[in-house]
Amino acid sequence: MLVALITGLATGALYAAAALTYNVMFSTSKVLSVTTGHISMLGGIFGAWFISTLGWPIPIALLGSMVVGAAFGFLTDLIAIRRVLARSDEHLWLLSTLALATMVQQATGLWWGTEPKPFPRLIPQDFSAGLADQKYWLPIAIAILLAVALELFYRRTLYGKLFVAMSEDAFAARARGIPTGRIRAMSYVIAGAMGGLAGFAAGQLTFAYFALGLTLTLNGFIALAVGGLGSNVGALVGGAALGILSAVATYFVGGEYQQTISVGLLMIVLLLRPAGLFGSQTVRPV
Amino acid sequence: MKLPNRTFALFIVTAALATLPWWAGDLYKLHLAALICAYWVLIGGLNLVVGYSGQLSIGHVGLLAIGAYCFAILAGTHDVHPAFAIAASGALCALCGLLLGLPSLRLPGFYFAMATLAFALIVTEITLAQGNLTGGGVGLSVPGFPPPFDTPRGSYWLILTLAALVTWLSWNVARHTWGRALVAVRDSAVTAQAVGVPVFRAKLTVFVFSGFTAGVAGALFAVLQSYITPDTFVFDLGLFFFVCIIIGGRGHILGPAVGTIVLTALPEMVAPLAKLGNFFYGLLLLAVVLLVPEGIGRVFELLLQRLRPRRESHVVKPDLDRLAKAIEHGRSAR
Repeated sequence: MLVALITGLATGALYAAAALTYNVMFSTSKVLSVTTGHISMLGGIFGAWFISTLGWPIPIALLGSMVVGAAFGFLTDLIAIRRVLARSDEHLWLLSTLALATMVQQATGLWWGTEPKPFPRLIPQDFSAGLADQKYWLPIAIAILLAVALELFYRRTLYGKLFVAMSEDAFAARARGIPTGRIRAMSYVIAGAMGGLAGFAAGQLTFAYFALGLTLTLNGFIALAVGGLGSNVGALVGGAALGILSAVATYFVGGEYQQTISVGLLMIVLLLRPAGLFGSQTVRPV
Repeated sequence: MKLPNRTFALFIVTAALATLPWWAGDLYKLHLAALICAYWVLIGGLNLVVGYSGQLSIGHVGLLAIGAYCFAILAGTHDVHPAFAIAASGALCALCGLLLGLPSLRLPGFYFAMATLAFALIVTEITLAQGNLTGGGVGLSVPGFPPPFDTPRGSYWLILTLAALVTWLSWNVARHTWGRALVAVRDSAVTAQAVGVPVFRAKLTVFVFSGFTAGVAGALFAVLQSYITPDTFVFDLGLFFFVCIIIGGRGHILGPAVGTIVLTALPEMVAPLAKLGNFFYGLLLLAVVLLVPEGIGRVFELLLQRLRPRRESHVVKPDLDRLAKAIEHGRSAR
């Protein structure tokens, strides 16, 4: 039972990190990018490649993973967001990010192989550590670290305040002289670095697996929608709730219905509180 | 002027498709054609949801899987007559479409897409979990059609007839009040509601219809595959249906049809593309979204307009004779 709880919490922390990544991109562009999970997937796979194949030292590999994630975030903005947001059609960004995500997943599958490959140990530790194993607490620590860092960034720095201003009203921010395009690109780079870090930290839990992206996109979104869109606390709570619920359900019912249960949680929360637990109520257009 | 041309073209296409078994060459191409028609049965219905009412469903492969398994279980395990089994698959999937649509169609765009994605994953999970019903990971073998349709030609004609029927149905929906209402919902739900379109009911109705066609398509697809496992219905297939419609152009019927034919046939004809698989679809989708968001159909429209400039002139010329006649008529009447 305790194992189930800890596993759930660790998986939930990864979902929470994905939800935080969604949040950063959403704040400046109002886009929920399908590529969110794929950033973390790339972080995990490139981390494993840097360490195992290229033999880089771990801190350099960590930096490398974050750079790969940031580069992918920048590419997402450049290819799939910038041109599409200029048009007025509402859901084109969904199509363009979906297309980009599909391409990245398939390309990674062709290059890396479709089998999950093991992720190397990051910190010297015996495999008999059990529940204190690093594969459980690394993702949890990273998710909390990311949430705290984001809050500090939003409250204490000028750029963070620009993000908040853009998420309130992008047109007003532009009228006040904020270079909205550059800030948006920057938010995608930051989100990419965050996703790469999360994928790297959770690598031992998920393995370096090319199909992780889509699962993470979906579950991160569920965590986000349960917690409330735009709220970082909500992302943490939603991720933890989702992870623990599906782990406990797996413990009692068996692993076959994991997806069904997590979607059930989403549906219940959306029916009771459409804005999520910590989200703000949106104004209807009429 | 325009109508006879269109009827003529329709006649040519119908004749070409009906006689396909004689000029297709080998059996594999015939099988491919039948597969395209089976896909089209689903895509024709899905087109009303994605192309007309603008609900981006990427998980219709879940409904396809339910239809296929329903057919395989009824016709294979329980020896129900295949015609009845096809109808039952359609009905079951319509019901599933209703159950899926009731909560999820209320959600905004991205939420809805994610709900359908989750639905596809759930269906895969359940087919794996309910091993004694669906055969689990091992899969089920599917019986063929009864005698008049048991040859490759016969099954091709049966599937072609059903595809034509779906095309006709969806065309009828699209060109009348319903289709206009759906386009209005796609372009602006608020405006549509303001002019009296029952937004949710319109969306739900076409979604249930697309569920029905997906069920029928699932049964046909299962027969063509002759053996189904959960791996047959990967999420990528759902993405493929979706991409066919977006590339063909939203709000058309011909565009998605051409998209289905090209996207199914192209990887089979050009071997390197088959290896790239999804990468190719993703690239195509990205190119279409960035360059021509209205779809490839729009490119042809623009080309046609350029090739055939409009005949009628917009210069206003006074028709003095008619004016004089009208004035005289008015005078004599007074």
